[in-house]
Amino acid sequence: MLPQFNYVRAQSLEEAQQQLSTDGARVCAGGSDLLGCLRDDVFDCSKVVSISSLNQLRGIARTRDGGIRIGSLTPIAEVAASATVQETHAGLSQAASEVASPQLRNQGTIGGNICQKPRCWYYRGEFHCLRKGGTTCYALAGENQYHCILGGYRCYIVHPSDTAPALLALNATVHIAAPSGSRTVPLDEFHVHPRDDPQRETVLQGNEIVTEITLPAPPPGLRSSYRKVRARGSWDFALAGVALALAFNGDQVVSGRIVLSGAAPVPWRSREAENAVIGRRIDAATAREAAAAAMEDATALKRNAYKIPLFKGLVEQQLLAIAGA
Amino acid sequence: MNKPNEARYYVHGVEVPQTPPARAKDQEPWDETRVLGEPLPRVDGYERVSGTAVYPADMSLPRMLYGAILRCPHPSAVVTGVDTSGAEGMAGVHAVISAFTPEDDTTRPHDELIRSTLFNTRCRYEGEAVAAVAAESPYIAHDALRAINVEYEVLPFVADERRALEPDAPKVHETGNQVSDTERYERGDVEQGLREADVVLEEEYRCECEIHTPMEPHGCVASWDGDRLTIWESTQGVYNIQTQVAASLGVPLSKVRVVGHYMGGGFGSKLQAGRYTLTAALLAKQTARPVKLTLTREETYLAVGNRPPSNMRLKAGVKRDGTLTALDYSGTGTGGAARAGGTSLLDWLIRDLYLCPNVRTELTDVYVNAGPARPFRAPGHPQCAWALEQMMDALAVAIDMDPVQLRLKNVPTVSQGRNGIPYTTTGLQRCLEEGAREFRWEETKNEIASGDLNGDIRRGVGMGSGLWAGGGGGPPSTAIVKIYSDGSINLNMGASDIGTGTKTVMAMVVAEELGVSHEDIQVEHADTGTTQYATASGGSKTVPTESPAVRAAAIDAREQLFEIAAEEMEVDVSVLSLRDGKVVATGETPREVNVAELQGLRRRGNITGVGYRGPNPSDKAVNPFAAQFCEVEVNIKTGEVNVVRFLGAHDSGRVMNRLTYQNQVFGGITMGIGLGMTEQRLLDVDQTGKMVNKNWHDYKLPTAVDVPADMTCVPIDPHDTECNTTGAKGIGEPATIPTAAVVANAVYHATGVRITDTPIDPTKLVNALAAARGGE
Repeated sequence: MLPQFNYVRAQSLEEAQQQLSTDGARVCAGGSDLLGCLRDDVFDCSKVVSISSLNQLRGIARTRDGGIRIGSLTPIAEVAASATVQETHAGLSQAASEVASPQLRNQGTIGGNICQKPRCWYYRGEFHCLRKGGTTCYALAGENQYHCILGGYRCYIVHPSDTAPALLALNATVHIAAPSGSRTVPLDEFHVHPRDDPQRETVLQGNEIVTEITLPAPPPGLRSSYRKVRARGSWDFALAGVALALAFNGDQVVSGRIVLSGAAPVPWRSREAENAVIGRRIDAATAREAAAAAMEDATALKRNAYKIPLFKGLVEQQLLAIAGA
Repeated sequence: MNKPNEARYYVHGVEVPQTPPARAKDQEPWDETRVLGEPLPRVDGYERVSGTAVYPADMSLPRMLYGAILRCPHPSAVVTGVDTSGAEGMAGVHAVISAFTPEDDTTRPHDELIRSTLFNTRCRYEGEAVAAVAAESPYIAHDALRAINVEYEVLPFVADERRALEPDAPKVHETGNQVSDTERYERGDVEQGLREADVVLEEEYRCECEIHTPMEPHGCVASWDGDRLTIWESTQGVYNIQTQVAASLGVPLSKVRVVGHYMGGGFGSKLQAGRYTLTAALLAKQTARPVKLTLTREETYLAVGNRPPSNMRLKAGVKRDGTLTALDYSGTGTGGAARAGGTSLLDWLIRDLYLCPNVRTELTDVYVNAGPARPFRAPGHPQCAWALEQMMDALAVAIDMDPVQLRLKNVPTVSQGRNGIPYTTTGLQRCLEEGAREFRWEETKNEIASGDLNGDIRRGVGMGSGLWAGGGGGPPSTAIVKIYSDGSINLNMGASDIGTGTKTVMAMVVAEELGVSHEDIQVEHADTGTTQYATASGGSKTVPTESPAVRAAAIDAREQLFEIAAEEMEVDVSVLSLRDGKVVATGETPREVNVAELQGLRRRGNITGVGYRGPNPSDKAVNPFAAQFCEVEVNIKTGEVNVVRFLGAHDSGRVMNRLTYQNQVFGGITMGIGLGMTEQRLLDVDQTGKMVNKNWHDYKLPTAVDVPADMTCVPIDPHDTECNTTGAKGIGEPATIPTAAVVANAVYHATGVRITDTPIDPTKLVNALAAARGGE
């Protein structure tokens, strides 16, 4: 059952920010994550501020320089189906189509998707864990089959988003409305690692709102992809996922990014894997080498050792697929 | 306990009456049927699809309050105090009850083994009821629960049944953690059998605990009128609820009416009255208002049943020619903190499925601090099949024999588990042969064998068979068929339609005998106040139990109608038949009369035919048999398994309705894929003992994309004229018995890797595949 809260549907960004300045206020875009958190009593909330009326935050458009601008309230299903996105940034379209279930893709927004709270069952359940202000990460000694193998530090969640790794691979920038005006943050710097603060997922302050996400024009020869392995065919988060955005010159990789999902507390850019392919042609040996490099620093918990061979197999298959495309 | 009778779990703990023998005369087996066997849509399809069907969760009565239950958050604790003052003072709260209020002297005598009060102060599992409230809205009720302060003394727990018998394990009950003596069965000489074998294999298997998760959560509405109580319950059997509630409250059966017209799934978890049922009744009494109490999804994960986890070890011997020489089997399981059948029927397939002279089994049921088990679609059988059918597959590989041939070699002629009495029919051989042919088993195996091994995708096929210890039904059952004066028909029976199409099938039986359309028959059912006695719908016995009673009632009504017609038409009854609402007389001068025009019928108002369920054949076993086949594709680098197609060949006797039969087969396969590939209850066994995945996202039921679109149902009907007067056996449970093992066998065929613990998903498979490739 939901707890009691007040509800405001803001008619302007300014009103939304003003309403969010109250203690205990929470912003609601699609609500698919927020309602679950409220029902599960994950955090206190005295006021829900809906931004669903702010139609200026919807839509996908080509920018003059050949990039893409996506309003934060754009439904994930629309990102998945967008011909504009598919034309130049196919990896994002693929990632969006892998999110949750058809209903949730229609209801959930791209802005909300990159701001999701972790799905760790201790965080969502009746456990006063480190991320909720407690002293322990229950995952460390508990049921950690779906937890992280890279970047764990005091808290061992994995970041749940499928679109964030693809956006990160594609070098996206997040645009934020702040009370003092607006600011932009590269997606690289948007998510907060538990080492810096185990109770926050993003750099957003309480009354800040993501307004749009921009992607730069694709470099020449860019190919991008996203694939996700999960325990169930739909409505499931990644056991392992990989977003690729690689620029090719002929069959040679000249630049690009490799980002893992389901691996770490934040979307995880694997510079080790990138270094193993940049400047080279991807053949079976390169792919295997890059896959091994991606897992070089991985450490398994008690129940998630499978993730290491899984990521190796996945990265290898995806690199070969993108090179053959 | 006598094993075959344990399959009558659906009447566990309630007294079952005897019904007299059927009195209708003409009950010869049908030769050709006009209606039965057709793929007819459900008689209540419109109501279910349009939303006009009222499920208990949809009920709304004037002045109705909403109940809610506060549950212990710890797997083991003592409640030292409950402070309800905060809840009692809230606006809109009408009643608060707990172990410390006088209402709690209600015991549950139907639970013959562990008597308990409604609220225990010694909580032995997470989710045990501690207090309850009734309030104006569900929200106020749940706010009131939050306002109740409970003091717990938290105690050590054991949540993993594999650790329950360790010497230092905390005791769930004072008597220790073993429920009763290890149950043993033996025939022949197992050691001798193992010596005679050319190949002996031994393996350990585990099935994870599953939760029923019916679409409609458990719940009811309770309403008192003076001293008369009416309960609308989401249940598989209204008479079970009536018996248990009346006994618990100490009131006559005539004061308790239970109605259960629609229910959103039970799978065995809704055969009994819940504590929530009694709680709703008590809250309604105290507030003098109707009370609706529907459990939250989370509560249904904790407190109203599960399929027990099973740990099995099987050692088997086989000769080179495929003759089984020995099966040596042991299993442990847990019904949680209650004596709830943690190893119920867990060895039945070992005892009965294949010809084998030397068999030894032992079962050990233990207590843990977790929610009580309840029967779950073929108790024990899918788990036992997970072990036995994988072992048969491994034996076939070891002696280089096709797995279908190995099973054909060992098809039983008699029920060995029941001292060798014969089955009325066994369609196992036909299930195997016709299933393999329809599946193109040989051809597909050859295609795969000659296919190339480039790339990371491997194809494989697997198969397995099964039988269900129940499925024959039996007395008691009473049904009434009324012919109204205009010739239209009313069928009155007590059975619940748990979503399987019972109402439709029974209307078809009446239509078959009375020559009317099944859609024109009014069906009254599942109401202890107005319909006839029936046992709960469970054990895959509803059709074989109820359809003979319904048939007998229809024939009884017809015989009475023919007496009237024969007199008015001045012919002998022997020349009469019924067709499209007309009595037809054959003979030298064929004549027909509309039933509605029979003066004798108009004078009487209606004819009432009564039918009873006669006894099953003595000294014969009635069992459904099954063989299933599937094809998979496995990504050997990621461990992803794609189930490409599935086929179920089933001997469940007569196919009463081709559509509802097929629904059971496809549903059973879907549920089996859940057991084999996606579902598991996860308890935080090393830290808190609490369930971590008590929601529909983290507890992974298979979705539409996890089951193949390509599913085939191959009904095998051996024309069983002995089992009962309609020739039907059960299909609901057998349809899910071999499924999980069939997937495991196909994955083995594709990859050479055998996964012996459920569920088969990348978390298990990718490690094993990497290890099989070596060096990674």
